[in-house]
Amino acid sequence: MGELIGKPVPLIDSVDKVTGKQIYGSDFKLPGMLYGKVLRSPIAHGRILHIDAGRARSLPGVKAVIVGTEIELPNYSVAGEKMLDERLLAKDKVRYRGDEVALIAAVDEDTAEEALSLIKVEYEELPGVFDLEQAMQPDAPLVHDEFGSNIAREMTINHGDIEKAFAEADVIVEGRYETPRVHHGYLEPHAVVAQWDARGKVTFWIPTQSHMLARMTYANALGVGQEQVRVIQLPLGGGFGGKLEYKLHPLCALLARETGRPVKMVNTRTEELMASLPRVPMIIEMQLAARKDGTLLGKKARVLADNGAYMNYGPGILLSATTRSDNLYRIKNIFTKGYLIYTNKVPTGAFRGFGCPQSHFALETMLDKLAVELNMDPAELRLKNASQKGDITPHNWYLGSCGLSDCIKKSVEVAGWSSKRKKYAENKESKLARGIGIACCLHVSGNRTFLPFFDGSSAYVRINEEGRVTVFPGEVDIGQGSKTVFAIIAASELGIPLEWVDVPNLDTDINPHGLGTFGDRVTTLGGNAVKAAAINAREQLLAVAAEELQTPVENLKIENGVIYDCNSDKRISFPEAAQIASYKQAGATIIGKGSFVPPGVTMVHPETKVGNVSCAYPFVTQIAEVEVNRETGQVKLLNIVSAHDLGKAINPLMAEGQVLGAVAQGIGFALTEEMIEEKGIIKNQSFKHYNMPRSVDMPSITSILVESNDPNGPYGAKGLGEPALTAIAPAIANAIYHAVGVRIDTLPITPEKILKALHEKEN
Amino acid sequence: MKQVIKVTVNGEYYEKEVVVHKSLLDFLRDDLNLTGTKKGCDNGDCGSCTVLLNGKPINSCMMLAVEADGCEILTIEGIAGGKELHPIQKAFVESGAIQCGYCTPGMVMAAKALLDENPDPSETEIREAIVGHLCRCTGYDQIVRAIKKAASYLNKK
Repeated sequence: MGELIGKPVPLIDSVDKVTGKQIYGSDFKLPGMLYGKVLRSPIAHGRILHIDAGRARSLPGVKAVIVGTEIELPNYSVAGEKMLDERLLAKDKVRYRGDEVALIAAVDEDTAEEALSLIKVEYEELPGVFDLEQAMQPDAPLVHDEFGSNIAREMTINHGDIEKAFAEADVIVEGRYETPRVHHGYLEPHAVVAQWDARGKVTFWIPTQSHMLARMTYANALGVGQEQVRVIQLPLGGGFGGKLEYKLHPLCALLARETGRPVKMVNTRTEELMASLPRVPMIIEMQLAARKDGTLLGKKARVLADNGAYMNYGPGILLSATTRSDNLYRIKNIFTKGYLIYTNKVPTGAFRGFGCPQSHFALETMLDKLAVELNMDPAELRLKNASQKGDITPHNWYLGSCGLSDCIKKSVEVAGWSSKRKKYAENKESKLARGIGIACCLHVSGNRTFLPFFDGSSAYVRINEEGRVTVFPGEVDIGQGSKTVFAIIAASELGIPLEWVDVPNLDTDINPHGLGTFGDRVTTLGGNAVKAAAINAREQLLAVAAEELQTPVENLKIENGVIYDCNSDKRISFPEAAQIASYKQAGATIIGKGSFVPPGVTMVHPETKVGNVSCAYPFVTQIAEVEVNRETGQVKLLNIVSAHDLGKAINPLMAEGQVLGAVAQGIGFALTEEMIEEKGIIKNQSFKHYNMPRSVDMPSITSILVESNDPNGPYGAKGLGEPALTAIAPAIANAIYHAVGVRIDTLPITPEKILKALHEKEN
Repeated sequence: MKQVIKVTVNGEYYEKEVVVHKSLLDFLRDDLNLTGTKKGCDNGDCGSCTVLLNGKPINSCMMLAVEADGCEILTIEGIAGGKELHPIQKAFVESGAIQCGYCTPGMVMAAKALLDENPDPSETEIREAIVGHLCRCTGYDQIVRAIKKAASYLNKK
């Protein structure tokens, strides 16, 4: 057992992907299928006065027209949120440019689009709110009149004695940081096929990160019971947090119900960039207090988070932004105010990092400032304050493993930090100035969510009569390779070749209830569940083999697909034993069940937000090396060194892939990506104008995997994919400061901003 | 309005009536059911829909099906030419160059076009050859490695 764990393995579904055989959500078809389209609001805020859909209804080929003002629909929310601010179609008001107003189903896409253009909507335009500070004012226009305020959520974090800490400090630094709306940029747009059966049950075929959350939310949105909803997950062409619940899916169900036929809907790229669920923009004001020797004494922060027009995962993301980064260093005195604010802008949601890229950009830039004030090496400052294994933080996080110091030390060594720090500091006046910067971050490995009813993960492992194994997990592979990790774990525990294991896509009628893929929970929680299920299946099989071989079960082992007795030459092949097991029970196959409930994990306290929210915490250090052109403001990335305490790399090939991809996404967040918005209208609605990193934009990246062996992770494994993005932006910002002595505190760091700052510095 | 076109796709001859404003991409995906070619942006920005038209890589979303009349088209479904993977496909699998896989068919076709012209490309040449292809999962490194590896496989043949 165990020889597969830690061995680099290509994805088990990569041949399907590389041959074009994999059917993604956008490829899926059913016979007799219609095509649906959404009519979206052209204005950011307004009252709907009148809708005339008569001409659309009479267009040949149109099978259904659904108008929000004419249909009864419940209010609902996402992820168990108590404020029911969503309705599938706008009733009286539109709240952002892109808000759903009406739907068409037609025999083909062209007809559906033509019908959209025939619906006439009369709006009374209302003043909108687009600025977070203004939206908080009592006289601001209200996005949701019924709530009486645009402040959707307020949080206060208070630990220790913040005033005393600041009074005792030798040095205090402060800053104000802004992060923009950025899009996940998954290459496959949102897609859905929905169909109702004669008994009133709707089936969704969707590329989704969570089959169960989709079922729960869509049942609420449609006003039906969860037992009336089945979700069949299809492969995702990228997710990154953006493919949790999404309105297009239940909208499609409305059309399918109305027409009695299967309906397919796929977003255009323009719709993606105007009406999906991008990253929550934040404004973060922060102050840090420290002693002369670099000991951190206290941290104050005020966080404003842009919810957009509707609540999605904003409360969880604000919670993450106001708490998680506090656990990275040993700071006892903390005071944070956080506000989640409605605006008449694109609703925001989960995106890799879940609030951490925003909060760490502030914190890690502030630490760099502090290091300058203290005349201290920024890496040293971090090492001095770094959280350690065994720590219990003010938020009551228990760090069962913590490789932060190792990440700092290893990345500093690999990057040639000390010599480059010195060398680049000497050359401050040339046109091309080089700099090197460092930043750290952390994350969770399965976050105790906002859903009170359960945490953890379950899986079934089925051994059929040919000895082939199927894993039914509760968590979705979104391209990161969790099917492969689960197959590795099952094969390893069962002592069989990896090729004997299959992991199908998820189906709410088949797979166990599971929360799905977010919060870096899949390997840690899902992996433990699969491990437990595989062990349970193995025990069932060995009991049969022991009877067949007439030998005590404790003497039996499985290796390379053969069950053998350690004390004799008795043996039986795995498939043979599986067949006997099945035939003895009249064809019932072995099904192993396994669950993992993370130990010592609690929901946060509703007021103080204190709680050990995860059973394991991954840590990261990233070092960026840049060359800044003083005349053009352009930043050339030279090198990235990225060190990750992931506990244990179960599949190092794909672990490296996670790092490389996340670093690329972090580079986009740092330097080029922004959904440019003017009065609620996104100006760059294509990949041509929304600048994601391309092959030629990437620097050399060295990934370092630090294996701290977490006591709760399967084989010691923790999360990896999310924090691998987080520290890149501050590392680059700090490197730019090191190169040219200016700080750009508003992402993305564009050449214009650098030139302006250089100009201001010189004059 | 419809028009009859004659095309050879993956070695198979088709004579089909198509709507004149239909893109080659939609023709391949909807009319021929070759959904291996992906639609990422429908705007020529992402490269997911790349196929080879008379041996040259094109964004099939930026061309009308009627413009391909008389042409020979190769898609991801036709690249292997048998049950074995094409060496480029093999290299992509082995190098971890595939995560979600949505950009993969386009990347593989771009790699084929490059290696047909230039059997031993430098890293810079590889990066330039795929500059029109967005990948959001891999950060491109493992794709570049795969194309290098594919070159070595093909040169050994």
